[in-house]
Amino acid sequence: MAKPTIFAIPKGRILDDALPILEQAGIVPEKGFFDKSNRALKFGTNREDIDIIRVRAFDVATFVAHGAAQIGIVGSDVIDEFQYSDLYAPVDLGFGHCRLSVAEPAEKAGTDDLAGASHVRVATKYPNLTRRHFEAMGVQAECVKLNGAMELAPSLGLSRRIVDLVESGRTLKENGLVETSKIMNVSARLIVNRAALKTNHSVLGPLIDRFREAVR
Amino acid sequence: MTSDLLPEGLQDSLPPVAEAMADARRAMMDVLSSHGFNRIQPPMVEYERSLGSRMEGVARDTMFRFVDPVSLRTLALRSDITVQVGRIASTGLASAPRPLRLSYCGPVLKIRAGQLEPERERTQLGAELVGNDSVAAVMQMVGVAIEALRAAGVQNISIDFTLPDLVDTLAASTFPLDAGKIDAVRRELDAKDAGGITALGADAYLPLLYAAGPLDDALDKLAAIDAGGALAGRIKALREIAAPIDDGVSVTLDPTERHGFEYQSWFGFSIFAEGYSGALGRGGTYTVRHGDGTGEAATGFSLYPDPLTKAEGRQAQGRYLFLLLGHDMRAAEQLRAAGWRTIAALDENDDAATLGCTHILDNGEAKAL
Repeated sequence: MAKPTIFAIPKGRILDDALPILEQAGIVPEKGFFDKSNRALKFGTNREDIDIIRVRAFDVATFVAHGAAQIGIVGSDVIDEFQYSDLYAPVDLGFGHCRLSVAEPAEKAGTDDLAGASHVRVATKYPNLTRRHFEAMGVQAECVKLNGAMELAPSLGLSRRIVDLVESGRTLKENGLVETSKIMNVSARLIVNRAALKTNHSVLGPLIDRFREAVR
Repeated sequence: MTSDLLPEGLQDSLPPVAEAMADARRAMMDVLSSHGFNRIQPPMVEYERSLGSRMEGVARDTMFRFVDPVSLRTLALRSDITVQVGRIASTGLASAPRPLRLSYCGPVLKIRAGQLEPERERTQLGAELVGNDSVAAVMQMVGVAIEALRAAGVQNISIDFTLPDLVDTLAASTFPLDAGKIDAVRRELDAKDAGGITALGADAYLPLLYAAGPLDDALDKLAAIDAGGALAGRIKALREIAAPIDDGVSVTLDPTERHGFEYQSWFGFSIFAEGYSGALGRGGTYTVRHGDGTGEAATGFSLYPDPLTKAEGRQAQGRYLFLLLGHDMRAAEQLRAAGWRTIAALDENDDAATLGCTHILDNGEAKAL
């Protein structure tokens, strides 16, 4: 039998919303996938020719871009952060809506606008998007790469600004921060590896169509 | 730290891989030669201005640059040989009869590697037909590219057609677009980002995303979108180009693909094959700029053969013939002419097995060890 197609799905926030759409597209993971204590990372599905892997959101894009997985679901924030040339995002899945924003401590927000500044220090998980955002305003951003708990950075003096995903704004508020500008809107996307789509269109083509139908 | 470390993105190819690579290159160059493409060998380094300005869309910042101590002008290491073919076609061979058929093979270097392709140096091998970008020219070049790859042992080839100037054509006719938005729409189409296109307010372009896939299906879909008939000619041309391609090659269409098609005009193609993760090469129609400002139509392709190590060369046979001291030199010569690789002993201590030999010359014949 030919090698199964690998479908990469992110752990965490997006996962719960992804499962119903996955099911509508005709893919149901095996039981072990839903068992929280199961440490396996790769699972079978109801389709013999498709296996699912569960990895971190940033790694979904990496797996698919390198062709180690052929198809996956990931937020548009991750796609734009990496800007992998070999990644297609053919379907906007219409869930996981949030935004990527700049936030600052409430008491300092608006005290010095960026005009005149040529350099800022920002704590973020998204150094590329952050750099591009500030570059467009003629400001050089020095990014401190963090993998979580960005909200702590301003109060502990690591950086004055942070760039992070904002859904309701509650986390920001509880940490004394306010959103000062929006970089982009984010939603979950179906992503496909470019070469895989060209060489294995018979599996991936119909699959993409089913996802497109599912979100219509 | 050792001082013998190679810089990032550069590597030695060792036996048997280096030999297999050479076999593949030779097999491919033989195919190009057999189709009447004459070989040129331009230098590694040129004036940056010439390399950078010759073709539209070639990014100067992909090249290594330095100052020439002789002329005090900026030099650049080539990152694309096609540009050099363009220069030759408009200078040294400007008056040669057209169409001009040229082939080349050599290393190219880029200053920064991509995350997906960590190599900074790779071999570029290709053929250019200068003076013609007709359907017939495209058909011929696509056919030669397939034949060359097959000669290098590549199987299950898949060719992806694209229409590089599609967005410009549509923006000027059926689906008008603000000039400021054309680049953004092209970028989102390239990434097949449906959400991004909607965000730009260019929903009219959305169906183009779905007009990708196996050629016949995709062309039908494209024809359905083509309300104003602006694409009828293109669709007919694509059908003609695909007609002579045999069933062993799968042909797909992706009308909005822009990857690697920075300077192509109406037609472009990329070649993939089972077992190779990225594109093995790409080609298409483009314009060669002449010194007097005029342009000349051209069609060509470039292949990146470094991953190809399955050619049927001498290496593939894996047979080595051991020659003892004082062996029959004439017999050895005849066997070499018949395709054998020989390893001659230098003293009595040389051992056939240690030297990797599979056979030994005995009484004028090759005997298995």
